[in-house]
Amino acid sequence: MLDMWLHGIEGLLQFRELAFLALGMFIGLFFGAIPGLGGAAALALLMPLTYGLEPFTALALSGGVMGGVPMGGSITAILLNTPGSAPNAATAIDGYPLAQQGKAGLAIGAAASANSIGGIIGTVSVLAILPVAKNIVLLFGPPEFFLLALLGLVIVSTTSRGKLLRGLITGGFGLMVAFIGYNDVSGGERFTYGIEYLWDGVHLVPALIGLFAVAEMINLYVKGGSVANNAASVKITKMTSGLMQTFRHWPTVLRGSLIGTVVGAVPGVGGVVASFLSYSMTVQAAKEQDRDSFGKGNIKGVIAPEAAINAKDCSSLIPTLAFGIPGGVEMAVFMGILIVHGMQPGPLLLVDHQVEIYGLIWALTASCVLASFTGLMLVKPLSYVTLLDAQILAPMVLCVAFAGSYAIDMTIENVIVTAVFGVIGYLMVRFDYPRLTIVIALVLGASAERNFHQSMLMGDGKWSIYLNRPISAALLAATIALLVIPVVRAMLNQAANRKILVEKEAA
Amino acid sequence: MARLTRRELLVAAGIATPSLIVPRAGYGAAAFPAKPINFIIPYAPGGGFDVYVRLVGPVMEKYLPNKVSIVPVNIAAGGGNRGVAQLYRSRPDGYTIGIINIPGMFILQQQQGSGAYDLTKFSWIGTMGEGERYVISVGAKSPLKSFADLKALSAKRPVKLSVTGPEGTAYAATMIGTQLLGIRTQLISGYKGSVDYVVAAIRGDSDAVIAAIPTTMRFVRGGEVRILASFEAHSSIPGVPDATALGKPELDQISVERLIGAPPGLPAPVQNLLASALAKSLADPAVTKWAKDNDIRMTPHTPAQTAQLIAQQRAFFDKWRKYLATG
Repeated sequence: MLDMWLHGIEGLLQFRELAFLALGMFIGLFFGAIPGLGGAAALALLMPLTYGLEPFTALALSGGVMGGVPMGGSITAILLNTPGSAPNAATAIDGYPLAQQGKAGLAIGAAASANSIGGIIGTVSVLAILPVAKNIVLLFGPPEFFLLALLGLVIVSTTSRGKLLRGLITGGFGLMVAFIGYNDVSGGERFTYGIEYLWDGVHLVPALIGLFAVAEMINLYVKGGSVANNAASVKITKMTSGLMQTFRHWPTVLRGSLIGTVVGAVPGVGGVVASFLSYSMTVQAAKEQDRDSFGKGNIKGVIAPEAAINAKDCSSLIPTLAFGIPGGVEMAVFMGILIVHGMQPGPLLLVDHQVEIYGLIWALTASCVLASFTGLMLVKPLSYVTLLDAQILAPMVLCVAFAGSYAIDMTIENVIVTAVFGVIGYLMVRFDYPRLTIVIALVLGASAERNFHQSMLMGDGKWSIYLNRPISAALLAATIALLVIPVVRAMLNQAANRKILVEKEAA
Repeated sequence: MARLTRRELLVAAGIATPSLIVPRAGYGAAAFPAKPINFIIPYAPGGGFDVYVRLVGPVMEKYLPNKVSIVPVNIAAGGGNRGVAQLYRSRPDGYTIGIINIPGMFILQQQQGSGAYDLTKFSWIGTMGEGERYVISVGAKSPLKSFADLKALSAKRPVKLSVTGPEGTAYAATMIGTQLLGIRTQLISGYKGSVDYVVAAIRGDSDAVIAAIPTTMRFVRGGEVRILASFEAHSSIPGVPDATALGKPELDQISVERLIGAPPGLPAPVQNLLASALAKSLADPAVTKWAKDNDIRMTPHTPAQTAQLIAQQRAFFDKWRKYLATG
């Protein structure tokens, strides 16, 4: 085992492999930073080029790309509130307010170090899990997937404290939108109104670009001015302190990495869930007085999703490699590269191609760390973007956003979705409705529905299927606990307050 | 790159001019191809059809004159409909070709009632080898040891089979296969992709699964899956009953074909040039090695054989059409 790890490193430490790794990292950083383009687009474009490379070199290149994407995505998320790739939408929630306060350097510094550490923790977990990966993937069937989705929805809805009702409203709206399209289980389309595009449902990435990038640019334009309020505050002096922030918030980093690792290992859930779940859990875990600052520029709100995204990138290799079930679009394309190079994902891949696979894991980790440093070097010139006047910035970002939305699969309907969700997003900002719940509902809605139906088919229509399986029962218990604990806590608080009041009166 | 002399340019202009005046008259296999060829894949990058094109495409470039490149273009919208419709509408000049999923597109057309294209009218170039046949298998831990066990279970209660959504080719294969074999079923449908639903059987979500041979073999090698019966006329898997032994020869007609086509009206010289380049690339060592590693048979089909194949498949699926569009 250890032997294979070393062989993997050895293979990577060749000039050619390192050169391709660095190249991949730059491409990943670049594609990650542009909204609409992401790891999937970069890998798809590179796939024919890897044909002439040795399998190991091709994997170093792919690992480089996958490691670079999250850092690129977080830079645009923080500076422009435009998630460069979908999972970074969670980073924007607190990262953008920080940029508005002129603390872009702090935020990007924290994102960079959280990225690296998340990646490293993810790698360690994967190395530990990989030998038993098969068993873990087999533990999660439809009942577990359904309850996992439910748990995700509940966690996120309970995050927006004080706005619980508004959170539930937007969550419900998100679910309604998520059910548009083809019914996977029994066939037939719903709510498509004869529009062919809607057969595949409302596409997630165009919707996210609208909800965040377009909405924010409308908002900025209406208000006037620039992202950061004054030039003096944009001095990127806090980068090192940003780097250190991650080390100051160990529990947040660990929690994020752990969530990322677990979510990544479960096939078909994806990066958006990892980052948003991590964000929500961090808000939940925060102290009472700290909690209100989330969404207004809390550095932990940047660290949590970033650590999760990179940890997830490592661990989503588990279902992809061990079974050929991709964790997301990016992994699906990466699987294509594996197949082209004669490495068929499946149980035997880990036996037949150990050296290549460990090389890939090291490449991914190295690229995470490299991308963080490269990203930091680019921060200074990039952060002047936040000083641009809305009249210049808004049209530019809108162009990139709409072009990116079109570029995903060259359909004009994507652009329409982006525009519609831009308006919805702006209204939500304007009237103070949380956007978090709508995102998670859009991501999980369809899979929750599908897995619910499948579970019922498996259990011959009996609900007991959710109780008879240990993991599913545990997830159910966790969901109920999450719903009940805040209520109990509130009741205890009330009782305590009453006691104090009574004591005061007595005195 | 060789530099063009003035005379060559004049000759080229001479060839090109009449083609502007009289459409298609100037087409000669010698002039084709003069620019990159777009290869439409009506699915997202990373899937099975995508991999075939990205693997065979670069090899095919070698066997075409004039060193042009073949550019994979993924048009994934509408479950594949949009890509195929776009191919159908493209100019029949050989610069747009595409890969078509049969019976996937039959099923889609039937469900969506789409009249945007006529599948029998494409100019066929060939196939990506032989169509994939199906096998019925169970997870390694299943108590079912033979096909007879499966039949016995079916006599007691409906057999649970995991399968993709009704739009998938696997769904059609499962419906028709179980119908032919007289197995009572309870489908657990909606799994995404051709691997997911096999893993579902390994995990124990279902009793058994009907899947294409290359997909299944991956798990057989890992000891995760046991094959109970093959739908091939003559089983390629030792010790497993085939369609002939089961007395249901029609099972052999259930397959997934990856046809390569161009818009209707492709001039014959261009069609032949593309067809021979495709056939040669299927025999290229780079492709045959990959095919062998993945249990895929790369037997090429001529344009005429391909047209015949789609007619056969059309007839077969028309017969079973009521099982293609449930829900």
